[in-house]
Amino acid sequence: MGDNYAHPYLANSKKDIDEMLEYLGISSIEELYSDIPDEIRFKGQLKLPHYQSEFELMEAVKKKLSKNITTREVRSFLGGGVLDIYMPAIQDEILRRTEFYSAYTPYQAEASQGTLQSMFEYQSLICELVGMDVANCSLYDWATGVGEAALMASRITKRTKFVYTAAIAPNREDVLKNYVAGANLELEIVPYDETTGKMDIAKTKALLDDTVAGIYIENPNYFGIIEDELDEIIADAHAKGVRVVVGADMNSLALLKPPGEYGADIAIGEGQSIGGGPLNFGGPLLGILAMKYNKKESRQMPGRIVGKTITPNEGEVAYANTLQTREQHIKRERATSNICTNEALVALSCAIHLTLLGPQGYKETAETMYLSAHHVTKELDKIGVKRVFNSEFFNTFTLDLKIPKDKKQEFTQFMLDRKIFPGIPYSFDGENYDYIVTTSYLLCEKDLDDFVKAIGEWRK
Amino acid sequence: MYRQAKYDEPLIFELGKKGRRAHLSPRCDFSRDDIKIPENMKRITPPDLPELHEGEVMRHYVHLSQMNYCVDTNTYPLGSCTMKYNPKVNETIARSEKMMYLHPNQPVETVQGILEVLYDLQMSLGELAGLPHTTLQPPAGASGEYTGLALIKAYHVDNGETQRDEIIAPDSSHGTNPASTVLNGQKLIEIKSNEDGRVDIDALKAAVSDRTAGLMLTNPNTLGIFEKDIIEMSNTVRDAGGLLYYDGANFNAIVGKIRPGDMGYDVLHFNLHKTFATPHGGGGPGSGAVCCNDILEPYLPVPTVNHDMDKDYYYFDYDRPKSIGKVHGYHGNIAVALRAYAYIAALGEIGLKNTSDQAVLTANYAMRKMEKIDGLRLSHTSAIPRKHESVLEATPFLRNHDVSGMDIAKMLISRGLHAPTVYFPLIAHEALMMEPTENENKERIDQYVQVLEEEMDKARKDPDYAHQAPKWTSIGRVDDAYAIRNLTLSWKMMKEKQEE
Repeated sequence: MGDNYAHPYLANSKKDIDEMLEYLGISSIEELYSDIPDEIRFKGQLKLPHYQSEFELMEAVKKKLSKNITTREVRSFLGGGVLDIYMPAIQDEILRRTEFYSAYTPYQAEASQGTLQSMFEYQSLICELVGMDVANCSLYDWATGVGEAALMASRITKRTKFVYTAAIAPNREDVLKNYVAGANLELEIVPYDETTGKMDIAKTKALLDDTVAGIYIENPNYFGIIEDELDEIIADAHAKGVRVVVGADMNSLALLKPPGEYGADIAIGEGQSIGGGPLNFGGPLLGILAMKYNKKESRQMPGRIVGKTITPNEGEVAYANTLQTREQHIKRERATSNICTNEALVALSCAIHLTLLGPQGYKETAETMYLSAHHVTKELDKIGVKRVFNSEFFNTFTLDLKIPKDKKQEFTQFMLDRKIFPGIPYSFDGENYDYIVTTSYLLCEKDLDDFVKAIGEWRK
Repeated sequence: MYRQAKYDEPLIFELGKKGRRAHLSPRCDFSRDDIKIPENMKRITPPDLPELHEGEVMRHYVHLSQMNYCVDTNTYPLGSCTMKYNPKVNETIARSEKMMYLHPNQPVETVQGILEVLYDLQMSLGELAGLPHTTLQPPAGASGEYTGLALIKAYHVDNGETQRDEIIAPDSSHGTNPASTVLNGQKLIEIKSNEDGRVDIDALKAAVSDRTAGLMLTNPNTLGIFEKDIIEMSNTVRDAGGLLYYDGANFNAIVGKIRPGDMGYDVLHFNLHKTFATPHGGGGPGSGAVCCNDILEPYLPVPTVNHDMDKDYYYFDYDRPKSIGKVHGYHGNIAVALRAYAYIAALGEIGLKNTSDQAVLTANYAMRKMEKIDGLRLSHTSAIPRKHESVLEATPFLRNHDVSGMDIAKMLISRGLHAPTVYFPLIAHEALMMEPTENENKERIDQYVQVLEEEMDKARKDPDYAHQAPKWTSIGRVDDAYAIRNLTLSWKMMKEKQEE
């Protein structure tokens, strides 16, 4: 390389460059930088790698990544919002079509019907799952979804307080706090009942009044509990003009009533776990946001939305970005959100996955998750290991292990030696750790029994 | 000649029949009779998901894909979007099993490989920025802007200057700049650009005060013009107690040649999907890595990825009491970061510098050829070279022939060439914002300009030809107003409308 410029990622050879320079009437590319003050030009050597051939690159990256231990090399009981899933071969075959992945945001609708129709289908599939009318084309992840939903509730109600469940994932809580800081929203936390793990009805109602913009509920909540006593809370919220935001585990909705059917105004969640993509160490993910259609309030949604339209000349069906006057490229400081680049390809991936599953596959995988989790708790019960909360759950439960802080690393290693990622540690008392355990549909009965056995051995 | 595929492709919901399957679920060892959901929480109506066999699913998506224009179709010179070729090896690397199957809550000792990659990428980005501290957590450019502005805000608050709530940005800025400012609870002070398309220094001097939190400025700016007075601007803002934010959307102009840290900037975001060639994905995912200097480092999002040199051990540091918190549920778009890492490793220092050289050369070459076309003119000034992009105005053409910048864009699409970015920045009129990148060679640009001339010739003779463009795409020009009048945003809304 060097001065002759030849590299697979660079289109022009030295000869091309000379011809273009000649056309421009200059003798070197440097002249195009001549308006830049010399004092800020960088003249040193950068601490960057030397260029590599493709073979060398592949080998080098492979060597580095080989130090990782994957969820396929051990048995993973990790959830928390993202989950190890199986992506059918056809799914990646479609995603590797350059027509999809190397396209830009579909601003020129006539040349982008592929992206636009698939995004319309994605929005539609999400609406089917959550029981809503309109979904956007994606947010970054579930966590930023909580933040966007809080801001949206505030814009709709013109109120500045937001209430949320204490049974929220810590990472989602952190992002929520950050997202609403700019708008100065006041946050209040609703406690959960220490026995059932469900939201405390009386305390929740006491917190709701006409200064509250919205309330955020997770269902099942972060500890895995199915919130099945929401009627009173939601009725009270609506009576006080409070918007109800439900963050749902998207797999659970194969078995559980969708948020749109029990009064949620806005539904959010994570799309990775229903086919958005592999875990990828937590990103890219797929933030889901959907709501009941309301002429005024739906215009407060953040992000891109695709609508159905026609071509006036031919009268044909077409799809296009719509309600764009909500967005930053038009409204700038008055936009409903600053989001521009979203997670479109992950949304496409999710749409393909749901299409491949169909209603039956969607239900079966959820049932397997449910049954695997319940098999584990039943077996653990036999050896005297209890759950922290006694309520119904889907595929996640909180295991009462009370591992002292100074033993946590030992426990991790103990489990790793048995090829197990045992779940996400969570401390209720700041001293000891319980574990939030989630079962995917990729674990067989032996994996589950090995987990039970390992927990039993640890307790001895 | 160009003909985009055209199918009357039904919605996926309109395809298939009850009982067909495209995929079998893994075997389940347990009896489904044991499922006990609380009665009031049971799902009664299953979701209306499609039922197709695998081959039909493939056909549907192949049809859709063929109705899409992409970087690998032909020239895609969207200004400020930096539509580069996405190296295929990066797609292969990103699909390593050792990458895909990593849960973000895994023990840190099981993810040493990916942490090393992230750490090395942070170092490389910091080096290019001239700002040594990096977070990869922001999942997109706008998120990076928000993060950077939040760092600035935290810095002022920490110094007891809570009144510093104004972010100054020029009227040529990207739309995300003001939107991110507002999201961060800051006030936008927009200043005008001068006749040369640069920031008006006097306007900047008049705008700064003890309420100034910072200046947000991309350089080169959205006209492709370098803000040559950046040092004076930087001093002006700094003297007033403010900090400087660099919007890295235009970084492809300066890779390895100028470092924002050396220009006086305190913080920047990169768009890894622009400068470092990760795919745009039809709208995302991207990544908005943020780099900053020592004074802003304490406020970076938690956790940071660190390296213990003695033990050669990578770890997350959560113990950061001054941190702004988290901007993403986990650690950002890691699979995107891995692609960017591979891109940097493939090009190395020399290659990256050559990238900017070629991006700037092709931009100037295209611009000088296009400005000669009757009906187009270069915005603001013709006297100075541009960097990675330029903005041409079609105002003379609109005035003389009633053919707009958008019409010109659509005619290009008819010919299988993607249009430049239209109608941005807002300080140009009938804007066509052209950024060929280093991915276009001389003959591709020659061809692009020739087609543009041919199409504008046709429009001169028959303006209606332009108004009806594009032809040969899968559909003709769409009615945006109809979409809003008859809002149909999902299959569910469609079904309800059909029933009415």
